[in-house]
Amino acid sequence: MLSRVALRSVVARQSAPTALVARTSASDACGVRDEKNFPRPIRGEPGKVRLGFIPEEWFQFFHSKTGVTGPYTFGAGLITYLFSKEIYVMEHEYYTGLSIFVMVYYATVKFGPPISKWLDKEVDQIETDLNQGRVETVKSLEEAIVTEKDAQWRAQGQELLIQAKKENVLLQLEAAYRERLMNTYQEVKRRLDFQLEKAALERRFEQKHLVDWVITNVSKAITPDQEKQTLDRCIADLAALAQK
Amino acid sequence: MAFGDYPKEYNPSVHGPYDPARFYGKPDTPFGQVKISEIGSWLARRNKTPSAFMGAVSRAWWRWQHKYVQPKRVGMAPFFQLLVANMAFFYAINYGKIKHHRNYKYH
Repeated sequence: MLSRVALRSVVARQSAPTALVARTSASDACGVRDEKNFPRPIRGEPGKVRLGFIPEEWFQFFHSKTGVTGPYTFGAGLITYLFSKEIYVMEHEYYTGLSIFVMVYYATVKFGPPISKWLDKEVDQIETDLNQGRVETVKSLEEAIVTEKDAQWRAQGQELLIQAKKENVLLQLEAAYRERLMNTYQEVKRRLDFQLEKAALERRFEQKHLVDWVITNVSKAITPDQEKQTLDRCIADLAALAQK
Repeated sequence: MAFGDYPKEYNPSVHGPYDPARFYGKPDTPFGQVKISEIGSWLARRNKTPSAFMGAVSRAWWRWQHKYVQPKRVGMAPFFQLLVANMAFFYAINYGKIKHHRNYKYH
């Protein structure tokens, strides 16, 4: 965090020409970002230490040459040498330091774990807060994708529906066509039937009229003599038949 | 190069975000891999101007910061390291006075 603030203040303090140079150099032909040799720095785990503050690497440096106890032996021997030759003088401040060491040790052992637990919780809380916006954006975008997929699926359903509607319209057209065909057929048949009936009626009337006319004229043409002659002849025929 | 500027070799378009713990010049053989016979020439190649010296100290400071102070879950180690370093430093600068408190004449 502090390093970022420092970086930002350094950037802010850059003189204008330098900033301009930095900005224009980004478009240089040779200005290709070297991700392999200069990767983006990431925040790692803290370095390991032993005895509270001595870097683990120093122990590893001894380990290959002297084994596990080597560094401790070296440290104890060095301290003994410093005490023995009074390079480190045990004056009154030394005992003050010893008592302070005891207090610091006790405080570390007693209050260290709960404080570190609380601080870890705070760190997690801060990280969660910082990430929340991003996480929520990702979540909302994913939801939008799901909605969009659903909408596409629905649109496909709409295409099916439109196809079905088109088929339905075609069916209706077919039905209307057939209905009209039937209608035409029936109309034509009705007219033909009418013509047939009319023709038959006319023929019947003509026949009847002709028959009537013929009968009327024939009966008009029969004279009383002829009638009498025919009647006589009939009687004569009847008499002839009666004799047989 | 004025105060607060980036090193001359640093090119943002190539190196990306500035890492204050990093040396952006042409790397030489690390000191741990230098042979005894080459130490003289290795030292002769070093840039010994005050600004280069300050740059080296600054990089060491930021390397320590990134390793022990800046990580997410830091223990008490950096504070103890600072404490011990301060004790050693002040013991060294006060050594001229402290040495009169010796208890024994002969060692």
